[in-house]
Amino acid sequence: MIKKAIANSMQKSPWLYHVNTGSCNGCDIELVACLTPRYDVERFGFKLAGSPRHADIVVVSGPITSQSKERLLRTLEQVPEPYCIVTLGSCPQSGNVFKGSYSVEAPIDKFCHVDVAIAGCTVKPEAVIAGLYKATEILKKKREAMNK
Amino acid sequence: MMFPFIKEAVANLFSRPSTENFPAQPVTAKPGYRGRINYDPEKCINCGMCIKVCSPAAITREFEDVEGGQKITYHFDLTSCTFCGTCQDFCEEKAVTLSDDYLMFAENKEDLIVSGTRIKEKVKGKLTCADGCIYCGLCARNCPENAITVDRASKSWSVDHDKCIQCGKCISKCPKKVLSFAEPAPEGVICGSDCVFCGLCAKKCPVGAITVDRATKSWSIDREKCVQCGLCIKSCPKKTLSMGPIE
Repeated sequence: MIKKAIANSMQKSPWLYHVNTGSCNGCDIELVACLTPRYDVERFGFKLAGSPRHADIVVVSGPITSQSKERLLRTLEQVPEPYCIVTLGSCPQSGNVFKGSYSVEAPIDKFCHVDVAIAGCTVKPEAVIAGLYKATEILKKKREAMNK
Repeated sequence: MMFPFIKEAVANLFSRPSTENFPAQPVTAKPGYRGRINYDPEKCINCGMCIKVCSPAAITREFEDVEGGQKITYHFDLTSCTFCGTCQDFCEEKAVTLSDDYLMFAENKEDLIVSGTRIKEKVKGKLTCADGCIYCGLCARNCPENAITVDRASKSWSVDHDKCIQCGKCISKCPKKVLSFAEPAPEGVICGSDCVFCGLCAKKCPVGAITVDRATKSWSIDREKCVQCGLCIKSCPKKTLSMGPIE
């Protein structure tokens, strides 16, 4: 029963860890805007975690510069299974206007799986909320598959 | 007053929350918001201007030859788009528009690609400029492929048919309305003025399409019978027969 209660609370409160891999700050601001009283994603239990070891959902923004690539991978290795990766904006998915640059490693698909891709440049906070909500559904499926 | 904040605290108890009740109450984007790209393939004239002006190269097109024309597919990759709206501004036909749909998220990247296909009928004729041209150069300036060259000084107009994609933009821009996709005149055997009415061509013709009457000095050809083999042209002693446009 305690296990069930823990599973339920895990489902109801996924914690976010935000990785900025060279983003222009636009998507980062929109993600932070989601935590403000106006959008308030804590209604759904989302909460920014200070450490990747506490995270259920990793939010990646930015075109993955060569400098940040290694840090991103190191961060992802620390996240406990199961976890979801959500990308913000065009940059992680394609490199946006930076594609083809010697210092940009996008797309992110080369290094890890992506569960939900949120498009926009920048993303609208409503889209972030909807995308994160989708990620919780995927997370639930992943957790169920793991506990079988 | 001991508690200066009590008034504020009590007032807040009765005020509405400032939080947007987003999933329950749908939010419409502010006017002018640039969201998901809508592409109307029926309006598109395939000038390729959107591809040229797209800074992150998010727009691609594919060509495929099918029966009765060419299949043209445009892909707008929303995972690569900056939503700057330049494609919309440059689209002469308003085929590309940015809607106010901001809910763009997907599990698969492919779901975030907006595509549109249409079959462009083959234009039979090549671009031609008729009499009345004032060499203003508007056609050349609006050509997305730089296929047209106009020289005002020498009053010359020329088109590179290999470059021309037959989008028809120049035709709509021409102030004198002299540009058109003219059908080339049908070709056939024609008899020049040097004919001596010897009748050799009529004898050589394998299908009997040519009739020559020496008495009335008339030469005629049945175009429906003619197979354009060229035997008559070879046999003509005066070399006056040739292939050319039929009047």
